[in-house]
Amino acid sequence: MNCLEFRRRLLTDPLSGDEDLLAHEATCAACAPFAQDLRAREIRMRSLLQNVVPPPGLAERVSLAARFEQRAERRRQWWYSAAAAVLLTVGVSMVSLFSTSIERTNVALAQSVINHIEDEASHLRAAHPVPTARVNWVFKRFGAELAADIGPVHFAAECLMRKRNGVHLVMPGKMGPVTVFFMPGEMTDTAMPITSARFNGQIVPTDWGSIAVVGEAGETVDGLGERLAAAVRWPASTQAGVSVPVGGNLLAASRLTQQKNG
Amino acid sequence: MANIRSEFDTLVHALAPELFRYAMGLCHNPHTAEDLVQETFLRGWRSRTDLRDGKAAKAWLYTILRNEHARLYERQRPEACDPTVLPDIPDRGYDTSAEAFVLRRALAKLQADYRDPLLLQVIGGFSCREIGDILELNTNTVLTRLFRARKALRDLLTGDLPQEASL
Repeated sequence: MNCLEFRRRLLTDPLSGDEDLLAHEATCAACAPFAQDLRAREIRMRSLLQNVVPPPGLAERVSLAARFEQRAERRRQWWYSAAAAVLLTVGVSMVSLFSTSIERTNVALAQSVINHIEDEASHLRAAHPVPTARVNWVFKRFGAELAADIGPVHFAAECLMRKRNGVHLVMPGKMGPVTVFFMPGEMTDTAMPITSARFNGQIVPTDWGSIAVVGEAGETVDGLGERLAAAVRWPASTQAGVSVPVGGNLLAASRLTQQKNG
Repeated sequence: MANIRSEFDTLVHALAPELFRYAMGLCHNPHTAEDLVQETFLRGWRSRTDLRDGKAAKAWLYTILRNEHARLYERQRPEACDPTVLPDIPDRGYDTSAEAFVLRRALAKLQADYRDPLLLQVIGGFSCREIGDILELNTNTVLTRLFRARKALRDLLTGDLPQEASL
């Protein structure tokens, strides 16, 4: 090791006990005083830097601050939990309210159908078929048309339903007159039963609204709503992306066509 | 939780004094130094799961403190890094001799690149490899910077112009 190397290495750590360094120092008259001077300065510097006494109670204050932080964390966690619980409760309530609202809407629609029939009970007494041209005329007022024969109709008119005008038909049934309402805009997710002391029926969903089919108690109306939906072409402007036949019940339409043909 | 709490308190009592010294070496202000130590341990507490390894924890806390000081310096608080202002603390805790004043001023004049490894070696007792880990440098660079730090310090204290050839 030459002097340059010795001094370079010593300057990186003057208090190093490296044997090579000590050996060079012991044999080099020029480097020995350099090393001693450097060590003295190093010891003085370390003494100065290491003898800085921390303020009294520093560790205790740090620990206390950490405890406050810990409590704040717990409070935050509590608030997060509380907020999550509130959000969950609000969410459940909203879903419940929404469900209840839908249920109430459905009940209200069924009740309005009953009320409508009772308010216009005189139409139930119509005993003679109206011309098919009349039926077609009523549907044409909505841009709709009959795509298949729907059988005898004893009453056909445009009527104000709950929200907007629709088609009011009365057809003969096995137990008595059967009222049919074509209600554009009255959207329902599923078929709903209509029951009262006197009437029995159901509301069938379609792409453009719904169809109510209501007969006297004991009347079988199953499938009638679907068949009527398939027999009427409703205008595209009131449908939700489906052209013909209205109601999207292609199977029923096909069945109706097959029955008609054969 | 109580166990972690106890381990953390042990760590605080073991390392707070030397972290305070390191902070003093960086900022020369006892109030700022205490703030730095407090913030360092609080950050450590927030990430306490990483503090389980005592040896790694020490290096990690030094790194946090160094970063906190850098952030403080960026916010331009001149009182946090003026070594010529004598702190208002008892003599026994801070050497107020002329020699100490001169040495502190010389340390403050060192480039941060040279002063950082020197303080980590002298106060933290870290090896060159550990200093390299903390400062994200390779060991040879740390050795070079330690050499240059002492060389510059020696020149500053003796009033010599830096002359590499004479060492």
